[in-house]
Parts: sequence; structure tokens; C-alpha cells
Amino acid sequence: MPKQHVAVVGVGQMPFRTHHADKNYVELAQTAAQAALSHAGLTPDDVDAVVFSMAPTQFMGVNDCDKWASEYVWATGKPFMRVSTGGATGGSAFQAGYQHIASGMFKCVLVVGADRVAETPDAQHVLNLIWDRFYEHDFALNTVTMTALAAQRYMHRYNVTEEQFARVVVRARRNAAGNPYAHLTKQVTVDDVMNSPRVSYPYKRFDICPRSSGAAAVVLCDEATAKRAKCGRPAWVRGATGISHSVFMGDRMTYWSDTEFADHDGFNLCAKECYRQAGIIDPLHDIQVAEIYDPFSTFLFPQLESLGFCARGAAAAIHDEGGFDLEGGILAVNPSGGTLCTNPIGVTGLVRAADAALQIMGEAGTNQIKGVHNAVATAIGGSTQFFTCTVLSDDHS
Amino acid sequence: MDIYVLGLAMVPARKRIADERLEEIVFSVTRAALDNAGVERAQIEQVTLAACDELDGRSISSMLLAMPAGAYLKDEMKCTDSGLTGLCLGAMRLASGDFDLGLVVSWNKSSTAPFEDVMRMRAEPFYTRPIGLNAAIADGLFASAVAAAHGISEDDASAAVLTQSRHAAHNARRAPGALPSASGIAGSPYVAVPLRQGHRAQVTDGGVAFVLASGDWLARHPSAQPLARIAGLGWSVDKYNLGRERLSSLGSFRDAHGRALAMAGIYDSALSVYELDSQTGYHAAAYAKALDAVDPDAIAPSGGPFAQNPYFCMGLINAAEAVLQVSDQAGNVQRKAVGWAAAHGCYGYAQQGNAVAIFEGL
Repeated sequence: MPKQHVAVVGVGQMPFRTHHADKNYVELAQTAAQAALSHAGLTPDDVDAVVFSMAPTQFMGVNDCDKWASEYVWATGKPFMRVSTGGATGGSAFQAGYQHIASGMFKCVLVVGADRVAETPDAQHVLNLIWDRFYEHDFALNTVTMTALAAQRYMHRYNVTEEQFARVVVRARRNAAGNPYAHLTKQVTVDDVMNSPRVSYPYKRFDICPRSSGAAAVVLCDEATAKRAKCGRPAWVRGATGISHSVFMGDRMTYWSDTEFADHDGFNLCAKECYRQAGIIDPLHDIQVAEIYDPFSTFLFPQLESLGFCARGAAAAIHDEGGFDLEGGILAVNPSGGTLCTNPIGVTGLVRAADAALQIMGEAGTNQIKGVHNAVATAIGGSTQFFTCTVLSDDHS
Repeated sequence: MDIYVLGLAMVPARKRIADERLEEIVFSVTRAALDNAGVERAQIEQVTLAACDELDGRSISSMLLAMPAGAYLKDEMKCTDSGLTGLCLGAMRLASGDFDLGLVVSWNKSSTAPFEDVMRMRAEPFYTRPIGLNAAIADGLFASAVAAAHGISEDDASAAVLTQSRHAAHNARRAPGALPSASGIAGSPYVAVPLRQGHRAQVTDGGVAFVLASGDWLARHPSAQPLARIAGLGWSVDKYNLGRERLSSLGSFRDAHGRALAMAGIYDSALSVYELDSQTGYHAAAYAKALDAVDPDAIAPSGGPFAQNPYFCMGLINAAEAVLQVSDQAGNVQRKAVGWAAAHGCYGYAQQGNAVAIFEGL
């Protein structure tokens, strides 16, 4: 039980693109920070502390780029720290901001980050460097090939096909078309996905997220500050959890393993605790929107299953029937278009939380889902080993 | 703050640890901290890491190091500012009410990192990187600014190095090696005028781990014996650009110090120990001037970075030394009747960020 209830009262994003030639890194961060504060009706003087969200700095080529950006997000003379947990960074940074306030030490915290993934000619080369230099660099292990291994295992275990993954891409692009900040919005068909160039089985090019640049920010505050923010319907943080797993993928797929690599079932533990905190008993009944971290088309099904929305191995069939569509489904999944359409890695988890918060606030625009009381946002990092799960709600009682 | 240090451990300091991989160092110090606290890893609910990918030589270094730091299937988070900032985050995570028992682990195998290359790449690419800014030059600019603003001479800086080195000489936890002499400092080359090589603390390898517990956990475990209470925490950041005012005002240091004192509800004069992260003699002299209300004998009894200097986690090493002081376990460098002790850590170019933790003896 937190010492103070914590709410999201402001969200700031910008259109995500491959490049932003008109802004440097710190200007991107400032754009999102300004937007979030403006949305909240607050000023930099209202902010007690700043948490910066940034994953590997090698993507954009400035170590400790957060220190460069600190002045531009009005952090000078304030507590400021950067959180980094690989792809899960944005989820962790959001939760660190929550913990700043829940601890009773702060009343209003800005969580902000920016990334320019396409500054490097080959992001997957940088992502090869996350592996062991003696054993793993040389056989082209990166996040594409790593997750392709898990996807193959998932397909084998549950008889899921490439076409079923392709439908995830089609649905994501359809949703992204209604999100003014989404990077990839061009509509595609299953055939388009199936005919896109093979990258690493089962992945074709359209199964994989883009390299995005841009920034995002949220304003978190305590109950008293929430009352004077201009947000009419704050998104309260009801659950915030993370799980860290072994880097060694092979250790997660043996008879003796604690969890199953293909199932992303670090989320089993993570979501169980998060739901306990949030008082969620039946996820499918209690949660209306899920913003899932899915940089690959294969990430959606195992997460939805591990988050308790359906039985293990059942997500693909439900998806085929439109069960996760925005209208007429059993759960609205990634109304924003999700990570498949937008992936500024250092802030992607924060974008998931921001989009979930907008759904609670009733401000998600074209893709607003009716009657949203609870929303869940996830993030994943490392060798599919860092998991964060956050539940936002319209109610903190 | 109702958060307590239940146990801690430091890696035996060495200039270069050549016989252990980084993950072995991290595992050993984490295991030792758990043993010191008398708890099992299974009892730990959250782990907060503080580490720097670039100094570790591996993007997302926590992928490999989270598990030896005890985080396997635990709620884990990493901050990248400094070891002491990690303590601030770890303590907040417990204070949030969502956890009762946690680890904070930080490390730096400085000997394997191309230190100045990493620091040079911290410079933004438009103005400061092309002119070759790195840690040595940033520290030289700092030295020049505080010399002008506070009247700190080269002799003052050298004297500060010798004072801290004398303290370090008594510290059994210092890294083995020769300590500087007055003639050695005076004869050392300038690295960035007015800063001489002899004014700088040499980086060493090391690591440190804390076990933190909430007051609720202690109430449920009456036989547990915490070492200290975390009474105050403060951290702050200065502007990035190295203007004279930014360099000489010690703004974020004063701010962090003030925040920690206010949270602890005490004045400077109550502090019997102040472990400083002074990377050069100029820093030591400048911080001492800023701490004019603190007993000069209370400053850096461990020798600070002149005893050991695993750069990224130096602030958390200072925190460990401060906790040893308030728990009367500091050995040869123990001061008498230490009720309150402060630890300082800094990070970023010319100490852009500063953090201060204040511990109360129990």
C-alpha cells in the first residue's frame, strides 16, 4: 500500500519518425516535457523531481545523454535520475516516478525520455553488443534473432502459424492509423506481411517494429496536486511491478526451468503481484484496455496469455476471431497501434503507460475505448528478461 | 525515513582485480551483504542496481549482472547516475510501501574501462566533444573555477590530497599501493592546468552492496540488528554547460546537502562524519569550504577516493564507510561517538550531479 496515492495527470508525446532533422536530442525531450506539463496545466516550478527514461545510449551516441537533457526538461537544481532496463526502461522509469511519490518524498514528478534509434546506421549491431563478447557476438545474436528463437518455440508448442502473426501486424497498423503520434500507419494486408522480405524465421520485415525517434513524458503527482491539475479524470497508478530473469535463454527452456522462455512468463509473476496490488481478480472482466509491449508480431500472444486474459496457447485463435479488436472484442489491445508501429526504445515502455493513461482519462482520440476503468501497460527488456507491468485506474479507493 | 541498513559488504579494494570476472565480483559482494544482514536471497523482494553500461563495456550490462546481484525473479530496477543515487532509489522503493526488504548493488571494474574515452563520449557532439572535453579537462576547469572563486591555491589542493591520504593510510579497506607525497604531487605533470596528476584520486576496481529493510520488516523480525537508519537523502543536478558560475557555485552539492539535512531534521554541526567523494584535491578543498559548519576532523575519515575509488560506485562506498562509523565498526578509522554520518557521491561532468545520504546510529 503506497504512502500516497499517485496519479498521471499529464501526458506528452510527439509524432514519432525515423528521424527528426529539425530537433536535436535535448529538444526532443523538451518538446515532450512541455507537452506533458501543458496537458496537466502545471509548470516546471510545480515539479519536485525528474526521472529520465533512456535505454542504451549507443543508439544516439552520447553517453549520459540524460545529463545533457536535464537542463532542457527543467531539472536544474532538482533531484534527477536516469533509469535504464533495456527495452523495459520506459516501464521502469514510470514505476520509479511512481515510487518517488508513493514514498512520500515528492508530490509531483516528471518522467521524461527521448530516443533517436536511427542515429546509428544499424541498431541491431548495437543490440549485438548486449551479448557476451567471447561467446555470443560472433553468431549474429541480436534482438531479432533472439526473439525469433522464442517465436519458433512458441509456434511449435501451440501450433501457431506465420499467418496468425501477420494478422497482428494488420490489426496494429489499423489501430495506428487513429494515433497521430504513431510511426508506421500505412495499412497492410496479410499478404503484404507474408510477402515482405524474410529476415529471420518466422520474421518477415513487416513483423518487426521500426526504428523510431521521438520523446514522451508523463506528469505524476499526489492526490492534492492532482486536484489542482487541470486533468478532470486522472489515471491512478494501482499496480506497479517488475521481474528480472536470467540472461541465459537456454536456462529458460529446460525441464527444470522455473519459467518457460517461449511464454514470456516472467509476466506470470509480474502480473500476479501487480493485480494483487490493484485488486484485479478477473483480468478479462476488470481490465478494458491493454497496451502491450510488442516490438515483434510474435510478442502479443504469449503476453496476453501470461497476463491472464486467456488460456495458454489460446490467444492466436481469439485474435483470429477479432477478440482483441477495438470494437466487438473481449479486450481492446493496443489501441495506439503498439510497439509494432512505434518503437523509440528508450521511451517505448513510457509510451505504453502514457497511452494507457490517456484511455483512462478518456482522451485517446479516435481510438478511445468506451467505459475504460482499468488499463494495463507492459514493457520488456534485455534478453526478454526484464518485465514491467503497470495497472492504471480511474479509481484509487 | 523509516528505512534501515540491515547489512552491507564491500569488495576488497584493489587497483585491478584480474582474477575475477565482473559477474563474480558482483555475486561475491552481494552474497557477503546478505550474510552480513543475516537474511537469505529468497527473502529479498526488490533489487536496485546502480551501474554504467559504458564503464562496464556492455550495452544493458544489467542483463548479465542482475542475476549475480540477486535479482533472479525479483523486482529489479537500475539507475545509471551513481551508486549513491541507487541507494536513494532503493530506499524510495522500500518507502513506497510496496516492498519491505531490498538490495542495492553497485560496482565499477575501472581497470577494464577506457575511462577517458567513456568520459569523452559523454560530451555532446556539437560543441564540447570537438574540443576534446573529458573528465580530466572538466576537473581542470572545475579546479580553475573554484580556485578563482574561493581562493583555493595549488598548495591548498595538494594539502587536501595529503590529508585524505593520511586518513586512507589508516583505513584497512583501502586499495594497496603507495600513497602520494608532497614532492610527488608537486612533481607530477599538469593534466589540465591547474590540476596536476597528483591531485587526482586514481581509479580502482570495486563494488558494494547494501541490504535495506523497512521499519515494518524490522518490527516483524525483532531479532534483526540493523546497522543504521537512513535519516536523510538528497540529490540534485546542475546545468550541463561548464560555465564559471556552474563550476564554482557547487550548486547541486549544496542543494543535495541541504535536502538531506532537512529530511534528517538536523544541522551540519550534528554530523560527526562526512565521507566526501572528492575526485581531486581541488574538490576536497572546495567541498570543505562549503561545509564550513562541519567539524574539519569529521571530513573523509576513510580517506574517500584516496583510499579506494571505484569511480561509479564511490558514493555508495562512502555510504558504507559512513554506516560503519555510526555502527562503530569502522576499525582503525573509527571516530568516537558517531551519532550521525553523511556520505556524498557525485557524477557527471565536473560533478554535475551530487547526492548526499545521512545515516543515524541506532
